Amino acid sequence: MTDSELDKFGIFKKSDAPRDNSIGIVIGGSLSKGLDVRLDFGDVEHGVPAGKIIEDMAVGKYVVIGGKSKKFFAIVTDISLDSNNPDLPKAPPDPDDTFTADVYGSSIAFGRLQVSPMLLMDEESKEPRPVKTIPAHFSKVYEATPQDVNLVFGQEDASHWHIGSPLDMEGVKVNLDLKRFVERSSGVFGKSGTGKSFITRTILAGIIKAQSAVNLIFDMHNDYGWAVRDEHGREYKGLRQLFTSGVQVITLDPETSRHRGSKVDGTLQIGLDQIEPEDVEMLAGVFGLSDVQVGALYYLRRKLGKQWIAQLLDEHDTAAVDELEEAEKVQKGTLRAIQRKFEMFRPDRMGFIRNGMPPDDMVDYIFNALNRGTNIVLEFGVYGNTLAAYVLVANFLTRRIHAKYVDKKNKAAGQVGEEPKPLVITIEEAHKFLDPDIAQHTIFGNIARELRKYNVTLLIVDQRPSGIDDEVMSQIGTRVTCLLDNEADIKAVFSGVSGAGQLREVLARLDTQQQALILGHAVPMPVVVKTRDYDEKLYEAVVDSVGTSRKHAERKKAIDGEE
Amino acid sequence: MNEMNIGRLLRSATTGYVFGCSVPEPEVPHFGMFVKAPAQRGQSEVVGLIYNIAIEDDLFVRQMAATPNLSETYIQDQRANRQVPIEVSVLCVGYRNGGQYAHALPPQPPITLDWINTCADAEVRDFTQRHDYLQLILDAPDAPADELIVAALQRAVESRPPEDRERYRREAGRELAKLLSRDLPRLQRLLKRLAP
Repeated sequence: MTDSELDKFGIFKKSDAPRDNSIGIVIGGSLSKGLDVRLDFGDVEHGVPAGKIIEDMAVGKYVVIGGKSKKFFAIVTDISLDSNNPDLPKAPPDPDDTFTADVYGSSIAFGRLQVSPMLLMDEESKEPRPVKTIPAHFSKVYEATPQDVNLVFGQEDASHWHIGSPLDMEGVKVNLDLKRFVERSSGVFGKSGTGKSFITRTILAGIIKAQSAVNLIFDMHNDYGWAVRDEHGREYKGLRQLFTSGVQVITLDPETSRHRGSKVDGTLQIGLDQIEPEDVEMLAGVFGLSDVQVGALYYLRRKLGKQWIAQLLDEHDTAAVDELEEAEKVQKGTLRAIQRKFEMFRPDRMGFIRNGMPPDDMVDYIFNALNRGTNIVLEFGVYGNTLAAYVLVANFLTRRIHAKYVDKKNKAAGQVGEEPKPLVITIEEAHKFLDPDIAQHTIFGNIARELRKYNVTLLIVDQRPSGIDDEVMSQIGTRVTCLLDNEADIKAVFSGVSGAGQLREVLARLDTQQQALILGHAVPMPVVVKTRDYDEKLYEAVVDSVGTSRKHAERKKAIDGEE
Repeated sequence: MNEMNIGRLLRSATTGYVFGCSVPEPEVPHFGMFVKAPAQRGQSEVVGLIYNIAIEDDLFVRQMAATPNLSETYIQDQRANRQVPIEVSVLCVGYRNGGQYAHALPPQPPITLDWINTCADAEVRDFTQRHDYLQLILDAPDAPADELIVAALQRAVESRPPEDRERYRREAGRELAKLLSRDLPRLQRLLKRLAP
């Protein structure tokens, strides 16, 4: 028989069919601890050198597992090296012997993944559901395709805001369900310089665009209202520039705002007579007030009346204070300490504080604006550097606006008014407000705990989540977390999240910028995103929607008028 | 290499056979060569690997070996007209039936005095597309398995066009690694010899 005659048999010829995109098989694991996946060996013939599959993996990537009757979506939480022979580490191939190394890498040494299954789909379900089971042994594992990701995160629409793309999937959109995002308090966490402000601004732009809630933003570092520059000097538009009509900037420091070229719609002034002991109580930590001193505040307010702070600060007419001292209702030391600490409230120290009452009641103004659907950015100017000023103002306004929301909501329940518009209050340095020692008593602690009972939720922006009360953290619905490397902070971010242990590694490996792990109420499953660029494209997306919504409103008005 | 007769079968069993031939040519038969023998009255062909070539003495050789001043003519005559054939042992590694190769022991061994042929390059290529026969070599009690594997794989590589050889070496290496993953020193020795 000749060669050519034999060749035509083609017996035993290997299939030349291209590889499917499977990367491995499930070999074990559990629902609680995650699944063990053995990665495939390299296959040079199909363009996959030994080790490439391992190196192409990344914690936070998505994989899809094709079970027997269900399809599972999972997230990679750990990657490790393994081999068929436990002695391999003791007898590795000679590094110069590429042939042996290549053979080992494609037959004995392999990679292992730890993946955490999150969602599943079966033939009956149209959209993914949370997992309650796991795929069978030897189910094939694939890298998630853009179609898979779209299936999970849906399309961008009026209430789904494009926040970024999954790792290595440029062009695929991860969308945040804004309706769900504002339903509960949310958090943006991350070390300094990891891009918290940019992500927060992107989210806020989405909320304003979708009109899923109105925002009251306590803008400590002047990041949100008007233009802001990054460390390379590039300028980015603030919310006031993006939404010319839907956002107002109120400043505490008109001079700085003028110097920065910010357009300002109002100035907030707080009268000494407006300040209540509850407003000061939260400053206990900042001022170093003891429990006794805090208790004395209420007594002083009761005895001295509305002008209690003014009287305590008055150096000329000290009769009322002297009387208290003589009556020994308040210890002299306590009184002097309070007076000393209240020096901060002098108008020359905090320029936004004035004696008596301010000319305009900005609380009413802000509340009415919010109810009209106007978002408020409160710019602190130079007072952003004074923590006491930030805490005082945030607490002062939030207490009063929350009280008005409660009132309005109760009236709506009694059908004597409209429901107040859902409100999201953005606070930075949130651990100063939600410290375990004070969170039980403060307005912010209450808001976080009561969920959306009164249509008010928080968006807390913080770099030390470990400083926030556990109970509050466990109520946070959606967590957007940039890089954190402190163990306590990582632990805090995952408090109240089931199966969080597996995600720790993902969080600790984020890039230092423009990457975030999003988990919770507003996303169907945890996702690591390369956050969307805050650039012209985003401006256009926002302008389009504003234009459209304005046109829509005009059209509706015209139709209503015709009727 | 083309197919050629190289001897006749002396004795056989399911796991191997021995054929006899006269004084070997420089090229054939040699260790690690793929050979085939008819079986089942020509229905199948038993494929084997030569793993031993034994040249036994006889009475004449013994006498001649002790003879002083032995002439070259006698030596050549003795070699050409040997009383006892040269015995070549073959390990069965598969068979072909109806055009299909199987890497398994044959249903029947070949019969005495059947012609033994070398396998042509195309046959070697087809037979070695898969590597299951390597397990039969590893399991052989009498054959020097490692040497035989290296020789057989070298022959399989040579039967392929140059552009296909590297890929084949890698595939064969991977198969060996699967079979010998528990014996790394042995595997490493084999791979070193298989490397280009």
